[in-house]
Amino acid sequence: MKVLAAGVVPLLLVLHWKHGAGSPLPITPVNATCVTRHPCHNNLMNQIRNQLAQLNSSANALFILYYTAQGEPFPNNLDKLCGPNVTDFPPFHANGTEKARLVELYRIIAYLGASLGNITRDQKILNPNALSLHSKLNATTDTMRGLLSNVLCRLCSKYHVAHVEVAYGPDTSGKDVFQKKKLGCQLLGKYKQVIAVVAQAF
Amino acid sequence: MSPKTRTDCIAWVLDVFLYLRQPSWMVDSKRMKTTSNFRWLLSAFVLLYLMNQVNSQKKGALHDLKCVTNNLQVWDCSWKPSGASRGAIYEVCIGNRSPCYLLGKTNTKISTLSPGDYEITISPLHDFGSSISKFILNEKNVSFIPDTPEILNLSADFPTSTLHLKWNDKGSVFPHHSNVIWEIKILHKENVEVIKLMTYNTTLNGKDTVHHWSWTSDMPLECATHYVGIRCYIDDPHFSGRKEWSDWSPLKNISRSSDLQSKVFPQDKVILVGSDITFCCVTQEKVISAQIGYTKCPLIHLDGESVAIKIYNISVSENSGTNVVFTTKENIFGTVIFVGYPPDIPQKLNCETHDLKEIICTWDPGRPTALVGPRNTSYTLFESFSGKYIRFKRVEAPTNESYQLFFQVLPNQEIYNFTLNARNPLGQSESAILVNMTEKVYPHTPTSVRVKDVNSTAVTLSWHLPGSFAKIKLLCQIEINKANSIQELRNVTIKGVENSSYLVAVDKLNPYTMYTFRIRCSSETFWKWSKWSNEKQYLTTEATPSKGPDTWREWSSDGKNLIIYWKPLPINEANGKILFYNVSCSSDEKTQSLSEIPDPQHKAEIELDKNDYIISVVAQNSVGSSPPSKIASMEIPNDDLKIEQAVGMGNGILLTWNYDPNMTCDYVIKWCNSSQSEPCLMDWKKVPSNSTETIIESDQFRPGVRYNFFLYGCRNQGYQLLRSVIGYIEELAPIVAPNFTVEDTSADSILVKWEDIPVEELRGFLRGYLFYFEKGERDTSKMKGLESSRSDVKVKNITDISQKTLRIVDLQGKTSYHLVLRAYTDGGMGPEKSMFVVTKENCELNTAIEMLSILKCIVFYYRKREWIKETFYPDIPNPENCKALQFQKSVCEGNSALKTLEMNPCTPNNVEVLETRTTVPKIEDTEIISPVAEHPEEISDAEPENHVVVSYCPPVVEEEIPTPGVDETGGTSQVIYIDVQSMYQPQAKPEEEQETDPVGGAGYKPQMHLPVTSTMEDPAAEDDLDTAAGYRPQANVNTWNLVSPDSPRSTDSNSEVVSFGSPCSINSRQFLIPPKDEDSPKSNGGGWSFTNFFQNKPND
Repeated sequence: MKVLAAGVVPLLLVLHWKHGAGSPLPITPVNATCVTRHPCHNNLMNQIRNQLAQLNSSANALFILYYTAQGEPFPNNLDKLCGPNVTDFPPFHANGTEKARLVELYRIIAYLGASLGNITRDQKILNPNALSLHSKLNATTDTMRGLLSNVLCRLCSKYHVAHVEVAYGPDTSGKDVFQKKKLGCQLLGKYKQVIAVVAQAF
Repeated sequence: MSPKTRTDCIAWVLDVFLYLRQPSWMVDSKRMKTTSNFRWLLSAFVLLYLMNQVNSQKKGALHDLKCVTNNLQVWDCSWKPSGASRGAIYEVCIGNRSPCYLLGKTNTKISTLSPGDYEITISPLHDFGSSISKFILNEKNVSFIPDTPEILNLSADFPTSTLHLKWNDKGSVFPHHSNVIWEIKILHKENVEVIKLMTYNTTLNGKDTVHHWSWTSDMPLECATHYVGIRCYIDDPHFSGRKEWSDWSPLKNISRSSDLQSKVFPQDKVILVGSDITFCCVTQEKVISAQIGYTKCPLIHLDGESVAIKIYNISVSENSGTNVVFTTKENIFGTVIFVGYPPDIPQKLNCETHDLKEIICTWDPGRPTALVGPRNTSYTLFESFSGKYIRFKRVEAPTNESYQLFFQVLPNQEIYNFTLNARNPLGQSESAILVNMTEKVYPHTPTSVRVKDVNSTAVTLSWHLPGSFAKIKLLCQIEINKANSIQELRNVTIKGVENSSYLVAVDKLNPYTMYTFRIRCSSETFWKWSKWSNEKQYLTTEATPSKGPDTWREWSSDGKNLIIYWKPLPINEANGKILFYNVSCSSDEKTQSLSEIPDPQHKAEIELDKNDYIISVVAQNSVGSSPPSKIASMEIPNDDLKIEQAVGMGNGILLTWNYDPNMTCDYVIKWCNSSQSEPCLMDWKKVPSNSTETIIESDQFRPGVRYNFFLYGCRNQGYQLLRSVIGYIEELAPIVAPNFTVEDTSADSILVKWEDIPVEELRGFLRGYLFYFEKGERDTSKMKGLESSRSDVKVKNITDISQKTLRIVDLQGKTSYHLVLRAYTDGGMGPEKSMFVVTKENCELNTAIEMLSILKCIVFYYRKREWIKETFYPDIPNPENCKALQFQKSVCEGNSALKTLEMNPCTPNNVEVLETRTTVPKIEDTEIISPVAEHPEEISDAEPENHVVVSYCPPVVEEEIPTPGVDETGGTSQVIYIDVQSMYQPQAKPEEEQETDPVGGAGYKPQMHLPVTSTMEDPAAEDDLDTAAGYRPQANVNTWNLVSPDSPRSTDSNSEVVSFGSPCSINSRQFLIPPKDEDSPKSNGGGWSFTNFFQNKPND
C-alpha cells in the first residue's frame, strides 16, 4: 500500500527546497529537461558513499537509543516489537545498474526521511527529555537530506532523471502511542538493516 | 368484592351504544372518525357476540376484581368471569356514581376515585345463570405500576469508557410531584450477565423531562458489547395503594465499531497513580500472555479470544508512558498508559515587574506530575479585575524550564488580583495573589553609567534604567570606592521618569582621586535591589595642595651647608600631581631661593651662614601652590641633655616625654643608624604638640641594629633637641664572643683579660659576661657544652660591663683548665670562646725527683751498656757495606734498627719545641680567628694540622676558640701548648688509636701517643712504620712538627699561638724526626734526631 500521506508531503517539500538541494521532485514533469539548481559536486559518488557510510555507522546506535527510550518491554521483545516488518518499503537490488541503484536509493531515502520526520515529531512529544535521541534523529535526518540532494544531483546530471516515483510510509499522527512507538521501532530496525545493504552496494 | 346480579336487556343495549360512542383518551380524533363509519356494523357484531356469550355462560359469581394504574389518573380494573359467562356483557356500576355502563369485556378503566370505599356492581347481562357481583373498591386495593420507561438514547464515550443514557420520565401524566427511583442495569451479554445495577433518583414535576445518566466503566467499553436496561418506581405520596416497579425497558447496546484489527484498550489513557485499571485485548488470535512493563499479569477471558487484565494500585509512569502488551504467537499488541498526578497547587507564586510595563509571574509547580508532552500541566493566569488571562502550555519543552508568565501592565491599574490555574488530564488546582505592582518593582540592571566632573570634589553620574517609572520614586544606591579606603554607599531618591535616563550629583569627593562608581536601584517602597551596574572609574580633577610638605633640615658635616629635606605629600593632600617644589631661605637680611625642584627630588642643599633663617618649602601642582612649610635653620640650644637607652617592641619603638607647654608647634622625632655618618638622618616624624608619646615605626628598622633617636620640640618654627635616645627595635644576642687572653698563670690562679665587642656585633645593650671554667684537657674534657647546672663547672657572671679582667684563684697546680667566656645582652647569650690552660706546677719538688730519675738512668745505661749492646746489637755492620746514617732502604734495608745507642749529655731545662708550620696553610690561620661558626668535630679534624708544640714544660696552655656546637658564629683559633713531659704519659692515648697502631704487635711499643695525633692522616708515615721491623720511634712521628727548640713562645697572632712560662728541668730526650721530613726545609729548624739517641756520633 503506497500512501502519499498528507502530513508528510509538506515535510518533503521543505526537505527538497532546502538550500543546496535539488529541484523538487514531484513538480518536474516527466519529460521535462532535467536541470539542477546548483552545479553538482565533482566527486558526487564519493560523497554519496561517505554519507551512506555515515548513516550506516550511526544506524544501530539510533536504533538502540530509540527502543531504550520507549520503555519495557521494547528492549526485550525486539523481534516482535521492532522487527523489520515494514510493508511497502521500497526495494533495493544491489546488483542493478548504478542508475537503477540510485533510483532505488532515492526512493528509500525519501521513504526513510519522511518516516524519520514522523518519528522525530512523535518522540519530541512523547519523550521531551530524551535529548540525545532527538539529537540523533535530527542528525540522521540532516544527513539524509544531504544524501537525497546528492542522489538527485547524480541522477539528474548523469542520467537525466528528473522524476522518480516515491512512496511513503504510513502517517502515524492519528495512531495511538503504542502504535507510534512500535512503527517507529520497526522502521528504525528496517533502516538499520537496509542501510547496511545499501552502503555495501555503493 | 362481592357480586350482585340484575337483568335489564334494554338498558344493556343502550349502554353498549353509549360505550361505543364514548370518546376514549387513548383514541385520537382520526381514529374516531374511521370508527364512526362502521359503528352500526360493529354494534351489530358486538350485540351478536354478547348474545352468544350470555347464552353460553354458565350461571355463577364474578371474582378477582383487580385494579391497577400507571398514571394515577385511571384505574384499570379487571375481573375474572365465572366459567360460563365468557363473552357476556356486564353492567358496571360504581357506587352511587351514575350512570352504570355496559361492557363487553372483563376489564374497565375508571377514573381515579377519591379515597374511600366504593361499591362496584358488575352485573352480567343476558346471562340469567349469573348473579350480580358487588365489590368494594378502595385506592388501597389499587396497584400503581408505572409504564415501562423507554430509553431515548444510549451513547458511549470510548476514551473515557463512559456510557451516556437518556430517557423521558413522562411526568406530565402524573398529577403530583413524586419521587422516582430509576434502576439501570448494564450487561455484557444480553440477558445473561448483569455487571452493574444502579439506581438513579429523580422527581416528577408535572412535565415530561428527559434525564441523562452517565456511567464510567471499569473496563473499556471497547472490550465487550454493553447492554443497558431501565425501569422505574414512582413513590407518589398521595397514592395509598400498592406501588410497584415498572417493567424493564427493552435493552439497548453499545459496541465498538467493527474493526478486524486486534487492539488493546484503553489507549493512551491518563490515570492517577494508585488507581485500579482494566486493560483488554480485543483480538481474534489467542493471547498467550500479558504484561505491564516487566510484570506479567493473569488473563481474564472475555468474549471470543478477547482477554483482559486487571491492574491494582498502578505506579507512576516514565515519560514515554507505561507499556501494556498482550503477546500472541505471532505478534504483540499493546497500549500505553500514562500514570501520574494531578497538578500540585502552584507554590511561591510571585508577580513582580522590572519596568512597570510587563508583569512577570513566577511559581514553583510543586510535586512533579510525571506527565509530559500533551499531558503536561497547562497554566492559566487570570487577572480578575480586568478579566484578562494568559496561558502557559509546554509540549516539547524540557521539564526543567522555569515557570513564568508575562502579563502586560494595564493602564491606570496598579492592583492586580492574579489567579493561577494549573490543569492536566488528572485534575486542576490554583493559587492566587493580590499585588500592588508599584510595590513590586525589581528594576533592570542600570546601564550606560557615565561620569562627568563638576569640580574637583563633585561629579555627576548618569545612567540608563529602562522602565516606565513616572508614577513612582526610585531609591538608588551609589557605591563609591577609592584605593586604600573603605567603601562608601550613598542612597539617593529620585523621581522616576519615562525616558529611562537618570542623573544625580555626587559631591564630597577628594580631588585628583581615582574613584570607582556603580549603581543599583529599587523602588522607594523597597522590594528588591536591581543588580549592580558595571563599575565606572573616574579621576577627579586636581586642586591646589592642601598642605605644605613635611620638612626637616640638617647641617652638613662641615657645617657650611644646610640640607633641607621634605617628604612627598600624601595623595589626599597633594590634590594632584606635584610638579615641583620651591625652597626659600630668608632671614632679616637676605633671601635665597631654589625654584622648581622637580618632584622626585625631596632634598635640597643650600649654603648658609650661621644666621637664623626661616626655610620655606612649597609644593606646586598644575592648579597651584601649597601653603609653605616653614622651619628655622638653627636649633635652640639645650645644655641639659642626657643620652638614654630604649628598646622597642619588635616593630617599633615607643618614645615618651613630658608635656611641655612651651612647645607650641609640634614635636619631631628623627632617627638614624648609630653607625651612620653625619648628617645623621634616616627619617623623621612629626607629632602634635599636645602629644607626650609616639611609636616610631619604619620598614627600615632591623633587629639588632642600634639607632639614635632625637626628640625635638618646636617653638616659633625653631626646634630644640629635648632628648637623645639610643635604642634597638629588638635586641639580639651578640654575634661574636669576647676576644680574651690569658695574661698570667700561676700554680693556683689564672688571669684572664678580654676586649670589648664592637657595637655592630653586640646587637643589643651589653648586660654582662659569663665565665665558665673547669678542669679538663682538650680532648678529655667533658665540656662539649658548658651548662652552668653542672656541678663541676664553675660560672662567674660578670655584670659590671666595664670590667675587662678576671683572676681565677684557688686552682690546682699543673692542671689543665678549660675556660669559656661569652657575652650576653637582653637578646640572649652570645657565642662562646674557650681556651685550655694548664697551671704551673710546684717546680722545686718536681725538679729534684726528675734529676734523681735521670741520674739513675745514666747509671743504668752506663753499667749495662755492654749487655745492651750484645742484646740489641750483636753484630756491628760493616761500615764499608752500609751507609748507616743515610737510612737508604735500597742499600741497607732492615739494618736501620741496628743503630747503636749514643749517649748525649743530659741537658736539664733545655726546651724542645716542635711546631707544625708546613701543614698549616696561611688561609687556615685566618680562619682560625675568624668569628664564623665552627663545629667541634671540624676542630678535631683540623687539630693535627694546627697544633703547635711550644715547650715541654709547664705551664702549657691549650687554647680553643669558641665551641661551634655552642655558638654557630664563633671564631676558631686552634693553638695547642703541650708539655713535652706530659707527652710521655701513656694514659693520654685513646683506645682506638692503640688498636690501629701499625706496630702494635711487633717489637718495641711506643710509650706515648700524642693526643692530637691521627695515625690515619698520613699514609706515607704508616708505610714507613710498617717497613721498620726493629725498634721504632715511640710516637707517631708523622704528627710531630719541628719547631725551633729555643722558641719559648709563638707570637703568631693569626693562629693565636701563645706561649708563656719558663721551662723547667726535665730528663733528656730525643724527638723523632719523621724520615720524610728530613729533607724538608722545615726540618732544618734544629733539634736532634731520635736516631742519634742510639748512636755514638750524631752525624756519623
